[in-house]
Amino acid sequence: MIGSVGAKTIGGINNMGRFGRFVWQSAIASFRICTSPRAYALIWTQMHIIGVRSVPVVMITGAFVGMTLAVQTYGQLAAMGLEERLGVLINIAVVKELGPVLAAVMLAGRVGGALTAELGTMNVTEQIDAIRSMGTNPIRYLVAPRILACLLLTPILIIYGDLMGIVGGYFVSVIQFGINSQAYWTHSASGVELWDVTIGVAKGFFFGVAIAAISCYKGFTCKEGAQGVGRACTEAFVASFICILMLNFGIAVVCKAIYSTFWSLKTLV
Amino acid sequence: MKHNKKENVPRASGDNGVIVLENITKRFGPNLVLDNVSLVIEKGKTTVVIGPSGCGKTVLVKHLIVLLRPNSGEVYFKDRRIDNLSENELNKVRTQYGFLFQGGALFDSLSVAENIIFPIRQHWEITDWREVEELVKAKLAMVGLDGYQNQFPANLSGGQRKRVALARAIALNPEVVLYDEPTTGLDPIRSDVINELILKLQRELAVTSVVVTHDMTSAYKVADRIIMLHKGRIVADGDADHIRNHPHPIVQQFIHGQVDADDLAVLRMSGKISQAQFLPRDFE
Ligand SMILES: Nc1ncnc2c1ncn2[C@@H]1O[C@H](COP(=O)(O)OP(=O)(O)OP(=O)(O)O)[C@@H](O)[C@H]1O
Ligand SMILES: [Mg+2]
Repeated sequence: MIGSVGAKTIGGINNMGRFGRFVWQSAIASFRICTSPRAYALIWTQMHIIGVRSVPVVMITGAFVGMTLAVQTYGQLAAMGLEERLGVLINIAVVKELGPVLAAVMLAGRVGGALTAELGTMNVTEQIDAIRSMGTNPIRYLVAPRILACLLLTPILIIYGDLMGIVGGYFVSVIQFGINSQAYWTHSASGVELWDVTIGVAKGFFFGVAIAAISCYKGFTCKEGAQGVGRACTEAFVASFICILMLNFGIAVVCKAIYSTFWSLKTLV
Repeated sequence: MKHNKKENVPRASGDNGVIVLENITKRFGPNLVLDNVSLVIEKGKTTVVIGPSGCGKTVLVKHLIVLLRPNSGEVYFKDRRIDNLSENELNKVRTQYGFLFQGGALFDSLSVAENIIFPIRQHWEITDWREVEELVKAKLAMVGLDGYQNQFPANLSGGQRKRVALARAIALNPEVVLYDEPTTGLDPIRSDVINELILKLQRELAVTSVVVTHDMTSAYKVADRIIMLHKGRIVADGDADHIRNHPHPIVQQFIHGQVDADDLAVLRMSGKISQAQFLPRDFE
């Protein structure tokens, strides 16, 4: 019993170590290919595959988040006579937290799953070994373009999600609940700061890298057979999901600290 | 060879070894696959590796290019130790190899032509695409598949895939080509074409070849030297005649394709194959 717990712990630490090395190698490879124009075609292809087809799902997610928030919060604000401030609440929540996190989760499912399945299949059919046998670094050829594509695209997709969330919230608030459109926007604009938007979008960089790195790693270490690939996909999604939530929490803590430092400075001045 | 400190290292003929394995041991968990194997692959010669399925032939050839690293022992390529190099350093060495995977390992997201262009693109500055096209055409013609440039691997038969993989392996005109079962899954005539190709590469480009095969016809035809692997060790090593007349019963059994008396007994013992074993509910 104790032995098996110990063995699992050691296994876990080994795994973390291997993942750390993988991330490190991927980071180096990513920096390298940034400087070689020949690789841009690879990044471009991946951006096309990852990005373009993800736009609809991310937009749908965003729209429903905005709409649901409006429905859920209207009652409480209206009871206090604050319904014109609905916009602030919805838009802050969408732009800062729900938009980025839910878009990232959608991407972890859609993109992460596809990456793990693709690389996992390449792994079990020896295509990754074939790349090595031809003197090419598979991390540089396969992983780096995917990480860079996710890094660049996740923030953009988050912006799409945010926009749809804002539009969705607006429609429900103004058309269904009959809030004055101008008041809605004025309050929203005064309540949502540029800082909030920046944080929300900047999260995309972290989420994108995390999704790509975890999914590619799971693909590279996937076990033989259809079952192995399936399991790798599941594990990749769960790990990405948890990683997104943890990163989100970490970023919130750090941003809070930064924001309050600067904010207190401002009031001193 | 300056690395050979130990005296018991087998050496085939002086300093002609391009690839040298010294006391290679490889385990996968508890499974001992290579047991202290030493081998010198001679320059310009064709070495054939035979042995029963699962005896570690693929594992052995993967060590020659360090796609697998040994648990202990050393690998030399042109007198340079390579089993301890980093992947990046190895990648430079590997450009001098061509490796035909047993399963082909074609990139299924790329067309046949793109598969063959892949190594070229990775290592050469391409200035003239027409030249590359000519090269692809020539390599495909060598394996009898010119005209298949725009097909995708999924649309090819197993044997065709293998031949495309072979064309890709020789795309960079490597000095050493490792063939893992090049003729398995091909019809007898195609097999012979591949045999001729191996001989042609050796004759005209002085390629050093290592061929893993089960096909004794092919082995006798192309081999300068045949090695038989059994239970992780080399049990026979010599030219075709040496193998034909080898006294070891395991070698004789293998080259004549005779089933082991014990295995036969098991088959006979198990009686009639009853249909009851395959009732549909087994698949529920
Ligand atoms: N990556 C691996 N992980 C674990 N075990 C492995 C791995 N690769 C090979 N083995 C084991 O090594 C042994 C030899 O395998 P290998 O593929 O070299 O056989 P082979 O001689 O090429 O057989 P065949 O003629 O069927 O191709 C097998 O028992 C196999 O289970
Ligand atoms: Mg094999």
